[in-house]
Amino acid sequence: MKLGRARGAIYSLGSFILPLLLFCLIWELISHSGLVKPILIPPPSKVFLELFEDRAEILTHLVASLKRLVLGYSLAALAGVALGISMGYNKYVHGYFHPIISTLMPVPGITWAPILVLVLGFGDPTLVTVTFIASLFPVVYNTSAGVSSIRKDHLWAARIMGASRFTIFSRVLLPSSAPFILTGLKLGLARAWRTLIAVEMIAATLWGLGFFIFDAKEYLRTSDIYAGIVVMAIVFIIIERTSFGTMEKRTIEKWGMVRDIG
Amino acid sequence: MANRNGLKGFFLFLIPIISLVAIWEAVYLMDIIKVLPSPAQASNRLVSLAMTQRDGIPLLLRHVGTSFYRICLGFSLAMLLGVPLGLLMGLNRYVNFLLKPLFSLVLPLPTLAWVPILLIVFGMGDITIVIAIFLGGFFSITYNTATGVRGIDRDLIRAANTMGASRLTMFTRILLPGSMVSVIAGLRLAVGYSWRALVGAEMLAAAGEGVGSFIFMARQFSAVDDMFAGLVIIMLAGFVMERFLIEPLEKRTVRRWGMTRD
Repeated sequence: MKLGRARGAIYSLGSFILPLLLFCLIWELISHSGLVKPILIPPPSKVFLELFEDRAEILTHLVASLKRLVLGYSLAALAGVALGISMGYNKYVHGYFHPIISTLMPVPGITWAPILVLVLGFGDPTLVTVTFIASLFPVVYNTSAGVSSIRKDHLWAARIMGASRFTIFSRVLLPSSAPFILTGLKLGLARAWRTLIAVEMIAATLWGLGFFIFDAKEYLRTSDIYAGIVVMAIVFIIIERTSFGTMEKRTIEKWGMVRDIG
Repeated sequence: MANRNGLKGFFLFLIPIISLVAIWEAVYLMDIIKVLPSPAQASNRLVSLAMTQRDGIPLLLRHVGTSFYRICLGFSLAMLLGVPLGLLMGLNRYVNFLLKPLFSLVLPLPTLAWVPILLIVFGMGDITIVIAIFLGGFFSITYNTATGVRGIDRDLIRAANTMGASRLTMFTRILLPGSMVSVIAGLRLAVGYSWRALVGAEMLAAAGEGVGSFIFMARQFSAVDDMFAGLVIIMLAGFVMERFLIEPLEKRTVRRWGMTRD
């Protein structure tokens, strides 16, 4: 049983890594073939070598980005879930905030960057604020949709049986809207990450992955850019798998609320 | 909401927006943020943008038109290449095996991370921006199409096979409707990504015209009323896109195919 599971894990890991290795190999060959300038498509071996050599520098950039991400995103998650729940709960709050949310949601987060740079200057305050704005809207939107989609008879049933407000909140409201809230948090995180990297290119200070790759552009150091991209991809997958994987298991799977959310 | 309740709904939608503008005006009058323009200044600028002409075309229309042209081009390319590749990935085991790991790695990457490379290869201008838009949409279209095709009930395919359906019938009657929901979900996501990529790429690869470069250039001259006018334009464009393009399209297609979820 245990052996079978281990074998399955190895198999799925292999089927993930193998095509990527193949892809790297093809890329390596193209890069050496002389069909394209190696400066434009540097061979993966060089990219990974660069990654290894500059690891201390890249790590500092990564940590700077992650700090901003954590700060901006967690503020947005707290504010977003709170606002979303009150919107789902109260008709008037919904009536007031829904138009504002649906007007501001399609505005790309990066649009705020030039304005915020004027107000807050270059650097962390601007970057954190933009991250906050970018991730706030999906969280609010999905949370309020989740809370208002709760079946009314569940609420009525709980109320008739004399459940307190707190019990209704923690036993009915939260579990049944949890899948939506998690979707919102997931979307919010993805958007926060994208926007942060983008804005780091514009409102650059000295550190941050976005700044790193944009700065490398100035010196035509393409292998540095690719190295930065590789780091971004890996880091985000790790964040998403670890945080949301466990969160989903702890909450919606435990509460029996697993649903297919597209 | 605005359509369903007619005039009343429209005003209910407008009141929060107006109150927001009132808050803006109040903040301006209290002079808390030094650089903030008043709503009147921003809207004046908007009017003058619509009135000022260059080569017989109002400036406003030039910026919006250029952006619109770019996003149409980039997005159609993404759709034309993404949907067939997605179908191929969904139908062919080997293609899926080879490309899936790559896509799951590239999908969460910020689209703008590619811009530094594009800038080195293609320089500032239309090509870089259009390719950024293309990349923004391409991955999620392909990925979602593939997921949709793979999610089709195998029994349906087997049943059609046993009953002697031709390849064409199989495609038009089973594969297409069966994967439609997912394809449309992918297209919807892709519009958002392309839109964000457009504004961001226009800021980074500013080529004179386009809403993104308009805002970005305004920052260099500290023309705050320009930036707010640009923000309002982006807000309106996003809102119009969401309300009058995506929502009706989504309703018409997904409902017509009888594939609404939940």
